[in-house]
Amino acid sequence: MSLGWLIRRVLLALMAALGVSVLVFTLLRLVPGDVVTQLIGLEGNVSAEQQAEMRRLFGLDQPIWMQFGTWLIALMQGDLGVSLRTDRPVFQDLLLRFPVTLQLTAMALFFAVLVGLPLGILAALRRGQAADLLSSGFVLIGLAAPEFWLAILMILLFSLNLGWFPPNGYVSPAESVWGNLRSMFLPALALSFSLAAATTRIVRASLLDVLSQDYIRTARAKGLRASTVIMRHALRNAMIPVVTVIGLQVGNLLGGAVIIEQLFGLPGVGRFALEGINLRDYPVVQGAVLWIAVSFVLVNVVVDLLYSVIDRRVVYS
Amino acid sequence: MPIQSRSVRPLTVTLLLALSGAVIGSAHAQTAGGILRAGMQADPVGLDPHVTEATSTRNQLENVYDTLVAFDSAGKIVPSLATRWTVSKDNLTWTFTLRSGVKFHNGRALDASDVAYSINRIKNPATKSPRIGDFDLVKSVTAPSKSTVVLTLSKPFSPLLSKLAFTLNVIVPKEAAATLNTRPVGTGPFRFVEYVPQTRMVLRKNPDFWGKDAKGNKLPYLDGITYSYLPDPTARVTALRTGTVDWIEYVPSTDITSLKANTAVNVLGGPAANYRALFFNVNEKPLNDPRVRRAIAYAINNQEIVDVALLGVGGLASAGTTFPNGSYYAKPDPSYGKPNLDKARALLKQAGLPNGFTLNLKVTSTYDFLRIPAEILQAQLAPIGIKVNITALEWSVYLPDILKKNYMATILGESGQGDPDDYLYTPFASDSGGNLTNFKDATIDGWLDQGRQISDAAARKALYAKVQQRLVDLSPMVFLYSSTQYEAARKAVQGYQHFPNTSYIGLRTTWLKR
Repeated sequence: MSLGWLIRRVLLALMAALGVSVLVFTLLRLVPGDVVTQLIGLEGNVSAEQQAEMRRLFGLDQPIWMQFGTWLIALMQGDLGVSLRTDRPVFQDLLLRFPVTLQLTAMALFFAVLVGLPLGILAALRRGQAADLLSSGFVLIGLAAPEFWLAILMILLFSLNLGWFPPNGYVSPAESVWGNLRSMFLPALALSFSLAAATTRIVRASLLDVLSQDYIRTARAKGLRASTVIMRHALRNAMIPVVTVIGLQVGNLLGGAVIIEQLFGLPGVGRFALEGINLRDYPVVQGAVLWIAVSFVLVNVVVDLLYSVIDRRVVYS
Repeated sequence: MPIQSRSVRPLTVTLLLALSGAVIGSAHAQTAGGILRAGMQADPVGLDPHVTEATSTRNQLENVYDTLVAFDSAGKIVPSLATRWTVSKDNLTWTFTLRSGVKFHNGRALDASDVAYSINRIKNPATKSPRIGDFDLVKSVTAPSKSTVVLTLSKPFSPLLSKLAFTLNVIVPKEAAATLNTRPVGTGPFRFVEYVPQTRMVLRKNPDFWGKDAKGNKLPYLDGITYSYLPDPTARVTALRTGTVDWIEYVPSTDITSLKANTAVNVLGGPAANYRALFFNVNEKPLNDPRVRRAIAYAINNQEIVDVALLGVGGLASAGTTFPNGSYYAKPDPSYGKPNLDKARALLKQAGLPNGFTLNLKVTSTYDFLRIPAEILQAQLAPIGIKVNITALEWSVYLPDILKKNYMATILGESGQGDPDDYLYTPFASDSGGNLTNFKDATIDGWLDQGRQISDAAARKALYAKVQQRLVDLSPMVFLYSSTQYEAARKAVQGYQHFPNTSYIGLRTTWLKR
């Protein structure tokens, strides 16, 4: 991998993020209602002149290209602006929430790989047997069942009946590491279901594909131990599609899992963006979407890099 | 978010309700101490009370601040930071005397200039307060002495006291104004400690609070309150069941019955200070004919709407007025909302529409309690030949349309703030910005104007009774129901009183049994 490739890749990523920003900026302003209409709601006693004055004070009376320019220039200086409603700097609030989303993503990924990888391997090796059928059943349920429904079932079982985990609420690791893990366990598990199912399926398919290759037969014929054939020769080569699928999913998860965050009361990026959308708090939505876009793009760069680690034949120049 | 956008102007009404069982416990002696863990639906929308309309901000900070005067649980105006007040003969000059010995949480003593500053801050357009209109008629606020505040009005305005009692129109110290959005400073029973967005808000007892209970014990009893944010209603109820929180707001109607049966929990609540109605755009034919509107009212069964759309517990069928059941100013009509199809058909015939017509009903798809009634109305109006066409729109598309009066009929709700004026002037006066039906009636305008100039409660009641009767005759709206609102708490939570106006002032007298 060359440095030039990396720079080009990052520049392209930045272009994509800029494109997303323009799109969001425009779309947001096409949505009916703005922060002033949300602020006064059904209030009858705010006159049209007073409303116009509020818009002027919020800077919403300027032409849209000028608003975008102002926002972009501030962005260049690392300033995402302040929320129109809470006056809090958007960047500061994102930094507050990102660790929660990151931890949720990491834990969900951990659970998913912990289950999906062995299950996928097992299903591929025992193709057509009971283990394969069971794993197919799991994949079907995992992909089809909505995560909020699984989450509610888990809350009922693990919190209400067994009392093992708190039903909701977030504990920061700075307060209690154990409390933090307990508060994140159920949401991560709920999120990991579909990810585990997708991983299982792609591992199985990819491995079956590799196992039919000539070099595997050769390896077996050489008299290598079955475990060596699978682990060293087959699995490594089967990994590229697996990493692609997991990478895409992780990119999605980093954007925040809105429903799971709502359900478990976790202060993540998704809930932050949702709140911004509901209140028509433009800087919050723009900042959050830009953040999500950048993390998605970065994950993709990392995935590309992983290809060359997994398969030395992949070279970027 | 629903609550913020739906009831916008939070509710507070002059209610004289028989709140049977609305106070939990009280026979025992109160024990001081302990932290109440409260599960809230939504984060505050900004922490500066003057700059927001959000019920969430108001509810979480109303025990950090105080108002000049206050509502008690029956909706009567009682002293708060002002101990007494007088009004001049011409009803234009109001003089308030402040309580002595009140301190802000920053240690400074409250004086009259803070009160003047706070009201002027709301009036100042640069503050961007959504309640800038509350004090439109206030010409000046002055502080002639440290303990005297004088408000001079440009026109008599008897709803002034309820505007002053509204718990977002609070008194703030002028030196802290610039940082109120991050560090609230008030005079209330709890001082603000920290707010971590979408996680928690922590309040601690203010040992210098001026309030005392009936026996002269210092308030509050609690050492503090920790609000946590649980937006999902099922999750909030589960948190209460498992005891991870002690108290929750907005119990969903689907859970009320099962929670009432739970021996570890008390459910408190009842009517809330709002109304939901079928609004008519009276400029649209044939709705410009009052007989047509009254005919529709005669065909509607309110109890059926409550039973089907609100599971029987989410609302109370309306008795023909915007005032909630039990309000002192309400003039209920017991026959209202019980269908009388013969009268309905007769009126339609008189109006020249014996075969009915097509009614275009525009509703929001965002809130079930406003959408589902539309489907019931469709069925209820079919027998008198009215074909209802329903269009359901997302709230943010729907609301601007309604505000532009671009509709024929809709289902919407509004909330009063604390004065009968809110329930009648705002929706029905022809010059009110809150009049969404284009309704214009000189007689009613005259009465409503008169109601603002007299302050005697009985005289106002008589006047407003006439207004309500005429509104039923002219039917610019068909009043359907008023929503209910419930809080729930673990059994150890004592002394909490439900206010029918979405106010958690009841936490000032709450204590934990140990």
